[in-house]
Amino acid sequence: MLGTIFQQLLDGITVGIVYVLLAAGLSVIFGVMNVINFAHGELAVLGAYFAVAITIQTGIGGNAFVVALVIAPLLVGVLGVALERYTVQPLYGRNPLYHILLTFGLVLVINDLIYLVWGTGSFRLPRPGVLTGTVGAFGFGVSAYNLFMIVSGGLMALAVWALLEYTRYGLIIRAGSQDRQMVRNLGIEIDRYYSLVFGVGAGLAAFAGIILAGNQQAHPDLGMSIIIPAFVIVVLGGLGSFKGAVVGGLLVGILQESILRPWVPWLEGMVIFVLMIGILLIRPHGLFGTEHAEEGGTERLLAGRTGSLLERETRFKLGLVMIGVLALVPIVAGLLGNLFWVTFGSRVLIWALFALSLDFVMGYTGLVSLGHALFLGLGAYAVVLGLIHVTSSVFVALALAIALSAAIAWIVGFLSIRVAGVYFAMITLAFAELYYNLLYRLEITGGSEGLGLLGQDYYYGLAGIGASLDDIAFFVGPVVLTGHSLFYYVVLGALVASYFVTRRMLQSPFGSVLKSIRENEERATFLGYRTVVYKRRAFVVSGAFAGLAGGLFALNNAFVSPSAAEWLKSGEVIVMVILGGMGTLYGPIIGAGAFFGLEQLLTHYTGRWRLVLGTIFVLFVIFLPRGLVSVPTLLAPYLPGGPGPTSATEQLPEDSSTEGGD
Amino acid sequence: MATETQIDDRRTNGETVLELDGLVKTFGAFAAIDDVSMTVERGEFRSIIGPNGAGKTTLFNLISGALPVTDGTVYFDGEEITKLSPPERVARGIGRSFQISNVFGGLSVRENVRLAAQADRRDGYNLVESFFKPTGRYGDINQETDRILERIDLDHVADEEADALAYGDRRRLEIGVVLATDPELVLFDEPTAGMSVEETQETIELIEEVLVDQTLLLIEHDIELVMELSDRITVLNQGEILAEGTPAQISGNQSVQDAYLGGMVE
Amino acid sequence: MGRDGTYQGSRRQLLRAVSAGGAAGLVGLAGCVGDPEEATNGDEEFDTIELAVLEPYTGPFSDLGEERTQGTELAIEQINDSDEFEFEIEYDTYDTQSDPEDALSEAREAVQSQGAQFLTGCISSDVALSMNDFALDNEVLYTPGAADVAITGERCNEYVFRFETSTAQIAEAMAQWTYEEQGDQIFYHLADYAYGESVMNEFEARMEDLSDDYERIGETRAEFGATDFEAYITQIESAADEADAVVIGSTGGDLVAFLSQAADRGLIDEIPIVTTTASFTPIRAGAGDAATGVFSGVRYYPELETGDNQEFVEAYEAEYDELPDNFSRVGYDSIRMMARGIQEAGSNNPSEVADVLGGLEQETIFGPNEFRECDGQAVNPVWMGELTEGDDLPEVEILTELDGEGAIPACEDTGCDR
Repeated sequence: MLGTIFQQLLDGITVGIVYVLLAAGLSVIFGVMNVINFAHGELAVLGAYFAVAITIQTGIGGNAFVVALVIAPLLVGVLGVALERYTVQPLYGRNPLYHILLTFGLVLVINDLIYLVWGTGSFRLPRPGVLTGTVGAFGFGVSAYNLFMIVSGGLMALAVWALLEYTRYGLIIRAGSQDRQMVRNLGIEIDRYYSLVFGVGAGLAAFAGIILAGNQQAHPDLGMSIIIPAFVIVVLGGLGSFKGAVVGGLLVGILQESILRPWVPWLEGMVIFVLMIGILLIRPHGLFGTEHAEEGGTERLLAGRTGSLLERETRFKLGLVMIGVLALVPIVAGLLGNLFWVTFGSRVLIWALFALSLDFVMGYTGLVSLGHALFLGLGAYAVVLGLIHVTSSVFVALALAIALSAAIAWIVGFLSIRVAGVYFAMITLAFAELYYNLLYRLEITGGSEGLGLLGQDYYYGLAGIGASLDDIAFFVGPVVLTGHSLFYYVVLGALVASYFVTRRMLQSPFGSVLKSIRENEERATFLGYRTVVYKRRAFVVSGAFAGLAGGLFALNNAFVSPSAAEWLKSGEVIVMVILGGMGTLYGPIIGAGAFFGLEQLLTHYTGRWRLVLGTIFVLFVIFLPRGLVSVPTLLAPYLPGGPGPTSATEQLPEDSSTEGGD
Repeated sequence: MATETQIDDRRTNGETVLELDGLVKTFGAFAAIDDVSMTVERGEFRSIIGPNGAGKTTLFNLISGALPVTDGTVYFDGEEITKLSPPERVARGIGRSFQISNVFGGLSVRENVRLAAQADRRDGYNLVESFFKPTGRYGDINQETDRILERIDLDHVADEEADALAYGDRRRLEIGVVLATDPELVLFDEPTAGMSVEETQETIELIEEVLVDQTLLLIEHDIELVMELSDRITVLNQGEILAEGTPAQISGNQSVQDAYLGGMVE
Repeated sequence: MGRDGTYQGSRRQLLRAVSAGGAAGLVGLAGCVGDPEEATNGDEEFDTIELAVLEPYTGPFSDLGEERTQGTELAIEQINDSDEFEFEIEYDTYDTQSDPEDALSEAREAVQSQGAQFLTGCISSDVALSMNDFALDNEVLYTPGAADVAITGERCNEYVFRFETSTAQIAEAMAQWTYEEQGDQIFYHLADYAYGESVMNEFEARMEDLSDDYERIGETRAEFGATDFEAYITQIESAADEADAVVIGSTGGDLVAFLSQAADRGLIDEIPIVTTTASFTPIRAGAGDAATGVFSGVRYYPELETGDNQEFVEAYEAEYDELPDNFSRVGYDSIRMMARGIQEAGSNNPSEVADVLGGLEQETIFGPNEFRECDGQAVNPVWMGELTEGDDLPEVEILTELDGEGAIPACEDTGCDR
């Protein structure tokens, strides 16, 4: 028994030490630069793959392990410096949420690069003989490699601590993570240290990745699986605090390995997120974080604008033409005998609705929800469970989905809107992950197998009046519209209706307050608006429409599984909103179209389409943060016969590259 | 260069509108505001002066509710408001003006003013209406908006984006927005910072003209201006009230001279 | 998707004409409501069939997906070169990733855009289950690659035919051997998803039949795709005195990572490790020495002398310069059996093929075999093996054999109603 407890503790420290190294870099980077680095996990995995290259691909094997342990982190460190210089640096002075977006793009890029270079398989990192097998320690047989992980990881953490504590660099970095402005006032150019901090953080992550890969395996998906726990730890320990990262890392490691898994396995994956939410609510700055002014917090997000290039009326007409074109898709597809464009179109329109819902809260109130897949998942499961257990009317089920999503959005909003900016992003992420884990555990959701709608009789209608889409058909000329084609119209109808409802809302007093919050929240407060209330209402509206999108998502697949609520979906929908241009309602719709269009186009040429998508996204975040809808305005001055001088002058205040900086 | 606006037009009737009682605000061990008590009468033009770091802006933040007090009480119109949020204080009549760049740049001039007018009236509408009824259909709000636009002389540019306004017009808009919240007391934190002498003059005149019925509380670094305009002046130093009185009393006060004016007029 | 797998040189330009029938055509653009059945039509004359190969080319099962595709492609090549068949198979590959939504989207493109009538593939059980439903919904024939019992059990349908050996069949061999050689006190470690669950359910059901004293000592469940198993190994170690064996219900990268960490911790010295899939080549390659000494159910091994297996092995080695393994043989004979069904039906209409394929006896690498009419499951033999030290990889040493009829559950026990 004693041996088991000892072993469990050892497990916790083994895993915890890796977390410590990951979280330390993440945390210090945030403290000094206010950058949330989503690509941190990918940098760790990259370290592991560099080690693979050094040990396996040179043919040297286990004996090169120690060499790899030195060289690979250095390489990744250099890469980190380059990343900071060329991608992160252009964004300083903008809202820190742009760093989240940027580094999410980098995740796509680095992850696909790993696939491209090392393939899809996994590698077991060869290690020198002395580090394999078991050794006796304290009268127990324990894994030699695990001991090595604890000792080398511990030494590395100690070295970082000494660096921070006893060197001039360390002093500046510590001071900088407390109060950047003060350091600047002392005449020190803290900005010059940014690249260094980023590089060291990346190197630390790589080191962690290598010792982890020695224990497990180097696998392309490893980064995705470690980044979320690393975030939890950083939040727990306190953003910016090294001590917090150490305590948080060991705490989560021990909690996970020594307490939850052995004793209450069904709570694993939930306790940690509940803890994260609790900490964010009670002590937003974590266990060891210090309250420091978020100097970047006041910069606004850059909303997409078409400016005056198109008159309002022209835009409206253009919109109607678009709807008309979309309405023709099933008929044209029918004429060509290619139904794929109909189902593909349904998928795009559903995501467009989802992106629209996110934009309503992100583009108009500046709340970046990193967990919007929560509502997609809620809506999806609500419809499927509703159709199985409650009703056979799709409309009733969709109404259930909307109501449930709105209700949960109110609760999540009530708890999380009081924390701002990055903390809000983190807390929504935690809620989504909590729900995602719950889906696996619950009996009623069918666990990992999900739930299918096959064999369920349901109809489109109310109170028993209506029909299944497969039972009716419209004959338009030579084309038969039934099943999927009719569903397409249901989706299109939902999207158009949602667009007009949200548009109407933005013209109301409620909407005008939202716009004022987007422009200048502090000012809105001093006009007498309780902005928290308005943001929460916007979040509820957003949740409701996301729930509708989720319901349609499930109907389209006739199937739902927990992956509907995974965090990657939250990330993808943000990508769509940014691609299109946030704060415009129609921008995200265009963004969704661009996203899937790109996927469809690129997959014909390469299986690694996320690499291209990620690159495009990164370029958008850096150079075109107002999205595709701003392209006409940017091009206008160069177009012959364009709108002429008037629009060129009017466009001045919209110059996208400088505005966020003031 | 003295303004022609007559300070004498302002009539204080001796009724207290704002009262601070033993206010304390500490940041860690540092006391930014240390036991400040003062009263402001209705209709008064009060200026607050003091060297950098004296706690003037912190004091404003405590009055407007932007910061919670560490200790002490704030009364407004005889009611204790110490624990109220900024919007609740705005609703009771404490308006706060910002520097010029602080209007809603992406919105039209009309929308800027309407937002403020709407904030003052929104209790009169139900929730569903406020979600779906377009702003154009709220008659009284729009009437009030038009009235204020006329008053600040911006009705001819009402549909332009605020960012596109000329400098002087934006300043008018800023003050119009404050006026539209229908305040009893308006807090001005260095409204003329960074302005030329001429611009400063125009701004102050505008404030005098538009906000003639309001009680004004002003933080200002231009001592000459303060001396001319104010009914009374409060001098802060290191978080404490160093002196308080009419311009004449303040300029004759030796400790103010030593601690502040001497250092200011280099 | 994204891999162009066509052999024919010219890409198929198949536009499946969904003509509305003469009557509807006359109605013109006015539009009217009618019965959609009028819209479908059969295709009697044919010389090609459209096949969609849906495999996870990215994600945890990517190695297996690649391997299976090699078997599939070999079968297609042989069929297209052979005079025995009066048609050719045209195909495209699609990347299902490991997400049912992606898989469904790919399947829709295959069926609706490329006109595929036959689907094959999907390693992961939850993806395969979603594909089961898709096949029925779209009336296309599907030969899955996952071992989950429900595929030819509770969620079976008349369009699904599985040459992959189900977990029920493998569990039969594993349970018999484990009971005789190790004992009946069992600890389970599962990947927490459909496949892991079904391993425990099937193994347990058979153990209960075999022994009155059977006991489940304990169980640990790791998230699907987990990479860290330290805490679970500690729990298994602490139960090692009580338990006679630990049965592992996971496969792919999950199993490799588990075996690696278990070896570091010396777990195998404390308790026999019984797995369902450690005999697969990618797992032996991934785990290396860490797999030595582990027991495993065996669904296939290349030395097998049954049926035309040796011809298959020879052709496979010639083509790919490596020995075939379980997934390549599943890909291979899934396609051959399906093709013989098409030949027998004389139609490329999936419904007609499905009607004749169930119960059609044919020669396979396992000798005479069939997809049972009651559930569409192939009657495959199964083995129990132990991994022993080898040159490059650990080798599979066969311990016991159980014939097809002995391994497959009785029709009435499958829960399949088709």
